[in-house]
Amino acid sequence: MSEPGSGAPGAGMHAIPAQPPPARRAPVLGAIGVTLAVFAAFPVLFTDPTTTSIAFFTLIFMISATAWNIFSGYSGYLALGHAVFFGSGAYAVAMSAKSWHVAGGWPVFALLPFGGLIAGAIAIPVGLVALRTRRHTFVVVTIAIFFIFQLAATNFGFTGGTSGMLFPIAPFSAANYNQPFYYVALALLVATTFVSWSVRRSRFGLQLLAIRDDEDRALGLGVKTRRVKLGAFVLSAVPVGMAGGLYFYFVGQVFPQFAFDPLFDLALALMAFLGGLGTVAGPLLGALVLESLQQYLTQTFSSDAIYLIAYGVLFLAVILILPRGVVPSIATLVRRRHAARSHPAGTMPEPRLRETAA
Amino acid sequence: MSPLIEVAGVSKAYGGVNALSDCDLEVHEGQVNGLIGPNGSGKTTLFNVITGYERIRHGKVSLQGADITNTTPDRVFGLGIGRTFQLTRLFMRLSVLENMLVATQRHEGWLRSIVRRAGSAQEKRRALELLDFVGITRLAHEPAGNLSYGQRKLLELASLLVADPAILLLDEPAGGVNPTLIKHLADRIRELNRSGKTIVVVEHNMEFVMSLCSRITVLSQGRALVSGTPAEVRSDPAVLDAYLGGEDDPSTQRQLASVAPGSAPAATVGTPPAASPRFPRPSPSEPRDDALLRLRNVTAGYGGGDILKDVTLDVPRGSITCVVGPNGAGKSTLMATISGLLRPRLGDIRFGHEVISGRTPKRILASGIAHIPQAHSLFPDMTVRQNVEMGAYTISDRALVRRRLAAVEELYPIVRDRAHVKAGSLSGGQQRLIEFARCLMLDPELILLDEPSMGLDPLTRGFVFEMVQQMNARGKTILLVEQNARAGLKLSSHGVVLENGIVRLTGSGAEVLAHPEIGALYLGGAVATAG
Amino acid sequence: MTLSAFAQAVVDGVLTGGVYALMAAGLTLIFGVMDIINIAQGIMVILGAYLSYELSAHVGIGLLPGLLLTVPAMFVLGVAIEFGFMRRLRDQDRTQMSILVTYAVAIVIEGIVTAVAGVDYVQLQASYVNSSIHMLGFYLPDIYLIGFGLAVALMAGLYFMLYRTKFGHAVRASLQNRTAADLIGIDVSRVRTISVGIGVAVTAVGGMVFGATNAFNPNTGYDLISRLLAIVILGGMGSIGGAMGAAIFLLVINDVVAVWWSPTWAPLVYFAALVVVLSVRPRGLFGRAAVRAQ
Repeated sequence: MSEPGSGAPGAGMHAIPAQPPPARRAPVLGAIGVTLAVFAAFPVLFTDPTTTSIAFFTLIFMISATAWNIFSGYSGYLALGHAVFFGSGAYAVAMSAKSWHVAGGWPVFALLPFGGLIAGAIAIPVGLVALRTRRHTFVVVTIAIFFIFQLAATNFGFTGGTSGMLFPIAPFSAANYNQPFYYVALALLVATTFVSWSVRRSRFGLQLLAIRDDEDRALGLGVKTRRVKLGAFVLSAVPVGMAGGLYFYFVGQVFPQFAFDPLFDLALALMAFLGGLGTVAGPLLGALVLESLQQYLTQTFSSDAIYLIAYGVLFLAVILILPRGVVPSIATLVRRRHAARSHPAGTMPEPRLRETAA
Repeated sequence: MSPLIEVAGVSKAYGGVNALSDCDLEVHEGQVNGLIGPNGSGKTTLFNVITGYERIRHGKVSLQGADITNTTPDRVFGLGIGRTFQLTRLFMRLSVLENMLVATQRHEGWLRSIVRRAGSAQEKRRALELLDFVGITRLAHEPAGNLSYGQRKLLELASLLVADPAILLLDEPAGGVNPTLIKHLADRIRELNRSGKTIVVVEHNMEFVMSLCSRITVLSQGRALVSGTPAEVRSDPAVLDAYLGGEDDPSTQRQLASVAPGSAPAATVGTPPAASPRFPRPSPSEPRDDALLRLRNVTAGYGGGDILKDVTLDVPRGSITCVVGPNGAGKSTLMATISGLLRPRLGDIRFGHEVISGRTPKRILASGIAHIPQAHSLFPDMTVRQNVEMGAYTISDRALVRRRLAAVEELYPIVRDRAHVKAGSLSGGQQRLIEFARCLMLDPELILLDEPSMGLDPLTRGFVFEMVQQMNARGKTILLVEQNARAGLKLSSHGVVLENGIVRLTGSGAEVLAHPEIGALYLGGAVATAG
Repeated sequence: MTLSAFAQAVVDGVLTGGVYALMAAGLTLIFGVMDIINIAQGIMVILGAYLSYELSAHVGIGLLPGLLLTVPAMFVLGVAIEFGFMRRLRDQDRTQMSILVTYAVAIVIEGIVTAVAGVDYVQLQASYVNSSIHMLGFYLPDIYLIGFGLAVALMAGLYFMLYRTKFGHAVRASLQNRTAADLIGIDVSRVRTISVGIGVAVTAVGGMVFGATNAFNPNTGYDLISRLLAIVILGGMGSIGGAMGAAIFLLVINDVVAVWWSPTWAPLVYFAALVVVLSVRPRGLFGRAAVRAQ
């Protein structure tokens, strides 16, 4: 690549479209449509309750990993305490259903936004404290705060202590019990993905990515870094809270040790890493692969121990072999292929705007 | 006309070293203001203070009369002051166009920013116009990390312009950039200035500064030395002295004369060594034929770029060989390449009869080459004694270590007097002595000494130079890198001029010092005629 | 709460704090030399406890003599992990990535321990585990005294190693100025490997004492690491003296709260103290400002 200005300073004068080449927009939309159709048709095609419940769990993790990525993936600050929001959302829904005497079934689903709201409200003070610290301390502080919540849920009276809280019984038939949960989760997933995609292409998202790459310089370009980080933190807590409410409503009961599970946070991080941190599709893909694999592993190996070992080894392998994740690696590969085909020797293609996150 | 930005009496110190002391600066509206000065004179620190990256306790910064001292960087930018960084900073994983869009959202709440797409069509058009202005439009969709060094400089500048700041602070815009691009940059800066922007440029490239700026301030030792037009600054002898070392100034001359061994002020460097008959002042050492260190066609650099280009160089045994050259010439890289911190890409280095290029630092040290890097090479939380003893880390013979320690203590009494003081609490000059002491523990044949005078006041500097001559008198060959070219060459038997990684000139210290091009090398071509 | 109960709680806190200080010292040492936060430190303590358990329950080697085997074993584990994973991390985002990697290592170890020993709670047994002496009006369980004694001895040893031996000087030198350490001939990467080994080896002792004073299962590692992290952050990451102070400070508060209010709420004090301190001083109680030149 020659230096600009080395030949003629006006060399860049030829017009360049403000939009990246609109190539392949239709196929992308088509692929999204097909994927959505497949997801929507899944419980109709596979009615076995074991299969549909695995599918439901997978959706829950796709929501949570996508939401986690809105903060941690875009800003580069690793949060390992999102179980706080998962659990708080679940407790908020369970408690409000109980105190407002909400009947089981669809009315409980209507409480999910309340769970998300509570999770978001909790994220404000948590973020205010945790985001004061530098990146690596931040990780540890989120872990510490997570343990505070776990302890509180176990010990407070109004959370029901170790025996947890019951949700109202969902009046769905045994054969079709999973379907409503599945479709609510799918709707939530679509909404969360839309938020993640909107953030990624918004000014706000650009500010987050700028913080990830060089926080000091972003500040020097007028980005209110503290406010942006806190905003993203809260925004990423809300869907996790809703997912928590939904998940434990499906289970029927919320216990502190499951609601506040350290493996949950690690799972989100691993999924996002596997798929590609800071991309929209990465956490979706990572959660889809990992959660279904995890469910499969738990069913195949009855032993917890082997499951843990397999999980840990997989995690290590992903971080050491594919630190950038699958999606960015494939994107690079495709770009190179494309470049080799359409740009003979030496010239570079123009990659599209959203593929540059790595 | 009152100045647009006024800096008054600003002081800033890091760990006992003053980066700025009572510094004043006036930036006048509509001009291209230059800020020059030797390495370590506080230029970047001053930028950091103005833009809020460094907080100060003494002094005041005002913009159009309003106090903006210690305002945070985001607010300073909001007030219309944009800056670039010496080591270009970009958002490396974002595309060029995305880099351009970060600075566009100055007046917006974050809720609205979530909903709004990054860059409206209008903003993108503006961003592309500006990319076009600097000449990198065709790279708009390339990740910034893929850009070459010069392209990064252009992008960094363009990404500020999006927000249309009234004032631009540019930290070494031409540093490490090829000559064609420098001209391109200068044209762009002139054009920005014509369109009404006030510009402050920190730069080492004198030709660039002299041709561009209407008003220049010279910083030296954290203080504004001179302000004036390029012609005034050029003809001011104090300026050349600031760069080449101020020995022509009679008052400095007197000060330096007073720091002969035995009379150095105890306040600055602890107890000086007594004038000892065993270490007489060296007579100018006779250059001998046999070279202790030979570099042949050495090419080396960091990452992809070569900093040293085909360097061939001999260091005669018993000499003090001084390498001088402007900032960025590759002097420190030369040192790192010899000591093994950096592997040469091409060429070979011989020490005596051994080929040492490609060896680890540990093995090169063992063969008798010690490297004292630029400033801060002590272990600050360890005591003076421990620091000095660490120099003998590779020696397992304890009796030998004790003997060497005793010898070093006799040479530098401060090692004994301050044995249990933490090294980090010593003054700059004292720290240098401890570094010398540490390096002498291994009794090396060759000492690589990188800018021993950096950050020291003239008095201490003179004293440190005495110590360098003393080591040489004890039989150490010394390869010295010195920003203070006059003083460095004066005490050296041999001189080498390095520019852009290429050896320009070699000869005896006096020859190099007397060479007419030396001034030009530092202050740009014009100085030879002006001075 | 009576005054004597209060005093007893303080004494208990100091004694247990010593053991926590030892475990946290390993964690902070590893951070200091490697910039790595070893999340696996908690499960390693539990692993050390299990090793002691297996040796005493199935091989017949007592807890104290068993340390002669478990300490070297944990040292080797530390060296292996440094070799296998830690040194592979790139400098960029090193600390953050290390948290994920060591978390994964912790899961693997937890899995292995679970596979071998199951999930039932166990506790180490020996003649001195349940006995105690009565002195100056305090009940001092022997195992607390032994644990405190061991912790003090090892901390003193660690201190001596760091401040009085050549290797210790090399550790501190590499920690304070890597380039300068390279230039005086220190093999910095070997120093780092051995430091990690030492940081992990202390968990064998910590595990033995912890296992004798608490019932544990593989899951206990999470509870432990969260406490150790709180101690290390409060003490200022990388500062061994700070870890010591913070451990005793937190454990005394913990035990006092347990007596005065309720044992279930006592752990909350850890994290509450951490959050309070960090909201006032983001660098921790004993942490120093990072010296950073432009």
